[in-house]
Amino acid sequence: MLSYRYLFSQLVRRELRQKYKGSALGVLWYLVNPLVLMGAYTLMFGFVLNVQGASRPRPYPIFLMIGIVVWTFFAQSLLSAAPSLIEQGGLVRKARFPREVIPGSAVMVQLITFAAVLVLLTPITVALCGTLTPALFLLPLLVVLLFAFTLGCALIVAVLHAYFRDIAPIIAAALLPWFFITPIFFVASTLAPVERHPFLGTLLDWVNPIAPFMLAIRSVLFYGRAPELGQVLYTVVAAVLVLGVGRAVFSRMEGELAVIV
Amino acid sequence: MSSSSVLPGEIILRDATRSFSIRADQARTFKGLLLGARAEGPPPVPALRRVTLHISPGETVGMVGRNGAGKTSTLRVLAGIVPLQSGEALSGGRMVSLLELGSGFSRDFSGRENIYLQGALYGFTKAQIDERIERIVAFSELDHFIEVPVKTYSAGMFLRLGFSIAAFLDADVLLIDEILAVGDEAFQRKCLRRISEQIAGGTTVVLVSHDARAIERVCGRVVVLDGGRIVFDGPTAEGLLHYHRLMGTEHGGGESVRSTAAREIEVTDVELRDGAGRASTVFRTGAAMQIAVVLRTRSAVARPELALEIRSGNGSRAFSTSTEIQATPDGITRLVFEIPSLALLGGDYDVSLAAGEKGVDAAVDRTVGFSVATEPGAEGIVDLRGAWRVLEPAQVAQ
Repeated sequence: MLSYRYLFSQLVRRELRQKYKGSALGVLWYLVNPLVLMGAYTLMFGFVLNVQGASRPRPYPIFLMIGIVVWTFFAQSLLSAAPSLIEQGGLVRKARFPREVIPGSAVMVQLITFAAVLVLLTPITVALCGTLTPALFLLPLLVVLLFAFTLGCALIVAVLHAYFRDIAPIIAAALLPWFFITPIFFVASTLAPVERHPFLGTLLDWVNPIAPFMLAIRSVLFYGRAPELGQVLYTVVAAVLVLGVGRAVFSRMEGELAVIV
Repeated sequence: MSSSSVLPGEIILRDATRSFSIRADQARTFKGLLLGARAEGPPPVPALRRVTLHISPGETVGMVGRNGAGKTSTLRVLAGIVPLQSGEALSGGRMVSLLELGSGFSRDFSGRENIYLQGALYGFTKAQIDERIERIVAFSELDHFIEVPVKTYSAGMFLRLGFSIAAFLDADVLLIDEILAVGDEAFQRKCLRRISEQIAGGTTVVLVSHDARAIERVCGRVVVLDGGRIVFDGPTAEGLLHYHRLMGTEHGGGESVRSTAAREIEVTDVELRDGAGRASTVFRTGAAMQIAVVLRTRSAVARPELALEIRSGNGSRAFSTSTEIQATPDGITRLVFEIPSLALLGGDYDVSLAAGEKGVDAAVDRTVGFSVATEPGAEGIVDLRGAWRVLEPAQVAQ
């Protein structure tokens, strides 16, 4: 696996360049999409629907932005990893390198974008929210855990899609409602239905596996405090478990890849 | 694919078995899964049936067989790309394969960038590729095209790039699939020379080709595959003879070119025979050959004549002759054209026969194909039976 590090970096670089080759803004497009989303949701939830009170933490655009970039990383990773093995079929049929590098590089490309956006977002957030606290040191760790979790999901999705070509459209369809039940633009505990039925809050914050990652990252960045111990444990266990399962599923199913892609 | 039990450059197949499903849509959808669509379509095609093969480090093996005999499958199994259903495939050391020309290139990237990607694909590091890149670029003769995106390349340029990469990465095992045919003759010759160099350097080479001459030039051993099984494994000359015989059975026998209404006189059967009088479609240079012809005459022809012509595989005429015949009206005439020693060199040939009235161009009645086994030392059509002799200096002076 180690001797294929260079292949991995080649694939990542190729993907980054190919994506926006010949476009005027180039890699900057990676930043434009989350910014546009942030603008749209600020307008929508902040002004049109006029979410008020505790469910609209201030500054709301920053609150939103953190949720959106975490979500974008997760969703885009799955969406780009799913068809990756088929798109790179030419490579798969040609040599016997470890196939994990293909979905892995797709997720890596998203991680690089995610990291770039975070590098811009963090100082702005820290300045506006006054959250320059030791808790910020947890941010890289949380990003690594999120990466591991996402990579595990991506491995499963990619290898399954190679066999069953319905997976990518199913993922794309599932991500849409998933976005709305993820605490991206709301604080679950302050929603009216949650106040009446507290178990709904538990569902939103804990059953949805991406929620603890998002809450923990927002905790250190936006609120300037260490995440709850439960969240940290959850993210560690989820990251290790999902990555382990992902690798196991992938290695069980990768054998026939050269025949089917 | 463990390399612990095998030497670098060694290849072992034990009872290797693999079949492929040939359904057009190989990927399953949930719908197909739910409806049990796997039962549909033709049964899987066996590509390898309990194949056992041992290739020692530094050996050069040519793999021949008809289309669909399992040659490419074998290469893909050897390359570790396709897993076996049962049996074992082991190979040692670093392996580079030249399969599916043109695939695995990034179309938007330059030839140079693609060299790095391809090298990485086989597990080479940047430093290792840096060491080799100038030789790769030079061999490819792509000059300034090396900096141009490969989407502008022709098939020949892809071959040049692909071959140069494979040939200069210095692998322990080099697998080459039926691709040299794309390049022009000069480049083909250059490729074969490079392969020979690598063989001299101790690389194990497995070459799949329909080009008997290429195999004969570089391979010391030939494996003939048919129906997923090894039907011959041994020295090149014998192997190619076996291969030609295998191919000959496909189109053997008199093949009618013209099946119009009966004419006054026509050739109804042609058979090629060896020196012992047995029917054959494969011959060796220098061997005896007989062309046995059966003529049917329906009505009297003023001056009947029989024409014989031998053309080489590319259509050029190697030999032609004609003879006046004494044909009995309404009867059968048998003739034999006897060649004591066949002066043709390795390749595929056609014998055409036409009967008709002298002076009138008769249409060809029958054509039969035959092959001459390639033997080292000479190329072309005609064996001139020449020999080299070194002259003494004194004789030159005269």
